[in-house]
Amino acid sequence: MTVLSSPLALIEVACAVLSAAILIAYIVFRPPLVHATKLWLLLGLGVFPIGAAFSGNVQGFEATKKREFCGSCHVMALHEADSDDRTSGSLASRHARNAMFGGENCYACHANYGMFGTVLTKAGGMRHVWLYLTEYRKTPIEEAKKTIRLQDPAEMNDNCMLCHSTQDPLWLKVPDHRALLEEERIGRVGCASEGCHGLAHPFFRGPDTPAAGAKP
Amino acid sequence: MSPVRVRRWLVLASACALGALALMAWQLFDPTVWPVMVAMSLGQVLGTASLAVFVYVFVADFRGRQRGEGDSNKTTE
Repeated sequence: MTVLSSPLALIEVACAVLSAAILIAYIVFRPPLVHATKLWLLLGLGVFPIGAAFSGNVQGFEATKKREFCGSCHVMALHEADSDDRTSGSLASRHARNAMFGGENCYACHANYGMFGTVLTKAGGMRHVWLYLTEYRKTPIEEAKKTIRLQDPAEMNDNCMLCHSTQDPLWLKVPDHRALLEEERIGRVGCASEGCHGLAHPFFRGPDTPAAGAKP
Repeated sequence: MSPVRVRRWLVLASACALGALALMAWQLFDPTVWPVMVAMSLGQVLGTASLAVFVYVFVADFRGRQRGEGDSNKTTE
């Protein structure tokens, strides 16, 4: 079972099994509350569940970085399918084939940068869940393609520049990069735009496209 | 707290903890949006509530025993 290949997952399962065994035994036999019972219950209700929760939370946060996680909301299914498609030439798919991104290519390109980047990304993720629950849960994919867009497209260049530094001599050798350097740095010209490297996703609506009353 | 009430609270806490553990295990085997979200919200709430009930019962039992010991000392005097 691949899911148990991670040490954290093993710790979580071990803690959960031990705790469940103690609690089921308590429910079945209902022993009197003597010192030994209290000690066993401390393990079953305190120590082992805390161990399971800690390892489970870390495991859960890691799971939120995976492409399967992002694709599990139906409105992202096309984006996930495109990334999975090894023959696709989209930026998303090309990055998914890169060993440095792999199964975490959504997170790598969309996560916020900076000291609080992870926290901001998770907060943004909660917003996505809220929007999905309140607005997009029953939205057909065809409609979602027309309405879902980036909240702040200008910030996307920052994420490209994490790997593709604008100070790299190789990058600066490209005449178009050099000519538009400042516009690229402030996000006025998008790296992932039709005039440059193409749209990140084939179904993506560019920042110039009218929003049609939709929320990102 | 009577032994019957203690047992009832602890069975409730055990059931809550088992529910929390089931949710945490679910997110491990199906790491998609809803299992992960539910495990990290409802799972945490249930787990914390079960521990809180255990601590409450433990403290109530401890205080009850202390009170009982105090009463028996007064009777002896």
